[in-house]
Amino acid sequence: MLADTWHLFGKYMRITLRMPMWTFFTLIQPLIWLVIFGQLFRNMYQASVPAGGHYMDFLVPGIVIMTVLFGSAWSGVSLLRDITSGTVDRMLVSPVSRVAIVLSRVLHSAAQVVVQSVIILLLAVLLGAKISLNPLHLGLMLVIVMLLGIAFASVSNGLAILLQREEPLVAIGNLMTLPLMLFSSALMPVALMPEWIRTVAHFNPIDHAVAAVRSVLIAPMDAGTYAIGFSVVAVFAAVTTGWAISAFNSLRD
Amino acid sequence: MIQVKGLTKIFPSGLRAVDGLDLTINAGEIFALLGPNGAGKTTTIRVMSTISGFDEGSVQIAGYNVDSDPQKVRESIGVVAQQTGIDYFLTGRENLALQGQLYRMNRADINARIDELGGYFELHDSLDRLVSTYSGGMRRKLDIACALIHRPRLVFLDEPTLGLDIKSRQSLWRYIEKLNREFNLTILLTTHYLEEADNLAHRVAIINLGKIQVIGTPAELKHSVQGDSVVLEFAAGDPHAGKFATAIKQEPFVSDVLWETDKLHLYVDSGAGRVPRIMQAATEHGTTVRTLSLAEPTLDDVFLKYTGASISGTAGETTDEWWKQWAGKGGGNWSNKWQADNGKPAEGTPDAADWQKWQQGDNKGGGNASGEWPQDRDANPSSNAGPEQSQDSNQKWPSDKWSGSDDWKKRDKPE
Repeated sequence: MLADTWHLFGKYMRITLRMPMWTFFTLIQPLIWLVIFGQLFRNMYQASVPAGGHYMDFLVPGIVIMTVLFGSAWSGVSLLRDITSGTVDRMLVSPVSRVAIVLSRVLHSAAQVVVQSVIILLLAVLLGAKISLNPLHLGLMLVIVMLLGIAFASVSNGLAILLQREEPLVAIGNLMTLPLMLFSSALMPVALMPEWIRTVAHFNPIDHAVAAVRSVLIAPMDAGTYAIGFSVVAVFAAVTTGWAISAFNSLRD
Repeated sequence: MIQVKGLTKIFPSGLRAVDGLDLTINAGEIFALLGPNGAGKTTTIRVMSTISGFDEGSVQIAGYNVDSDPQKVRESIGVVAQQTGIDYFLTGRENLALQGQLYRMNRADINARIDELGGYFELHDSLDRLVSTYSGGMRRKLDIACALIHRPRLVFLDEPTLGLDIKSRQSLWRYIEKLNREFNLTILLTTHYLEEADNLAHRVAIINLGKIQVIGTPAELKHSVQGDSVVLEFAAGDPHAGKFATAIKQEPFVSDVLWETDKLHLYVDSGAGRVPRIMQAATEHGTTVRTLSLAEPTLDDVFLKYTGASISGTAGETTDEWWKQWAGKGGGNWSNKWQADNGKPAEGTPDAADWQKWQQGDNKGGGNASGEWPQDRDANPSSNAGPEQSQDSNQKWPSDKWSGSDDWKKRDKPE
């Protein structure tokens, strides 16, 4: 199973590397948010949270998580293409592990968002964000990025199998990503949220992911917050991956 | 090599896609499944290649049961599906190597096999180019090479030459024949090209409505149609054609009468000598024969006899059937809607306009909404035999369109 996953993962990576444009293309939106939101909310943030430092620094972890969401939530679209083009059938008639088919896709998505978030981080630093560049901190951040990428790619693949069509999948992807961002501390500090949003955010894995990334990127590092965030995201990734695999296995008609 | 007994597959919609199918295919044989659109060919292949479940019956492939031993079955077979499934953004070599890895072959073996297959299919020079630069014929060859990488003893080819030009098709036939001859490879292929079944297959089964209608060598099947085939074509909607058909059937020299759209097939002994009498009878009934042709029976006649439709009018199975299977797994309303949309060409395209014209021009015939091909056309009341047949072709027409194989039908239809 691991060998199968590795071979298929290698295939997806090879295809991605041949079309690097796509990797950059999905970066455009988070970048626009980084620039526009960074300007738009700066004064408000600094007026409301006098001790909060620069808004740009606060925003970067949120934008990193946003990159993950936008980068991985479309993985299911390419699964549908593979089903239509017969690529999935070709795998299914071979003895290849069925788990590997899903796992390789999900890991490929995760690898893609890891690269994307590194790029976003570099751009943020160029734009003047002051974040920790300690390799340990960056490594811990990338763990969260990877797990969240796995989770959202799994959700997308699972939904693709249930919905069978690209259009509703894209619609749900859009519908899903924005509220998940807004019901978290990605753009707004918890202190400024109304009570009910704060409650909702508590159940939002994105909020915990943002908190975990923020806890390592902005000094001083907050190990407790990171640990909670890591646990939430890891469980989320495990559950969604399991769900996607079982959805795929039920595909045999 | 293949033993199928009482195979029944019911789609969630209730459609019996395969209905009590029995099939035995021997090692070393090239066997062709011939059938109209939706006959159950692809479904049968999908069941045999372990990717579709089934409701009743037993399926043994290469000595293994598909239900209890799917992994062994997968290792023993190679499958070339209608959708090619090769990756366009990989090179031919990478596609082959990945395929080998999926079958858990070791690196050295994979490389040796790629050289071998590359040489065999004359793809050597193109192996390191991206598949997106390949021609249709080359993709098909690569497709088949991929299916052979692990040296299976049995290969399924689902419409292997669909969409290829005649030259590529014939060249592919030679490869398939050679594979069978030199490596004793057992080949099960589905096709709607009669020449393909006739040229390649040792035995042919005609499948319709999920059942095998007849099995035999091409020669046996052609022999089962008695006498010469005389094909008469009438003016569209000729009111007297039906009466004439009933009358001519009474003649002692006519063994069978079959309608195909506006064409009437007569099977007569010593055809050439009977032509004057046939023409005389036509005149007596006040009908005008536009064209008349006389030939020895072909597989097309066999097909017409057992399915009530001409195979040239049925074309290949589209991806519809395949999608229905996946969509049935929980696509719910979305997939239903999708299928409904997909049933006819999109509005506003030239196809859509033609389609609508067809519907208006042809819906005065009988119901037959179920999409089933009538078995005994000649037994019907004579007066509406003609128009009702055209209802059939109305259903078949959109698939003709894709195959592009028979323009005659479009030209000669009543408006």
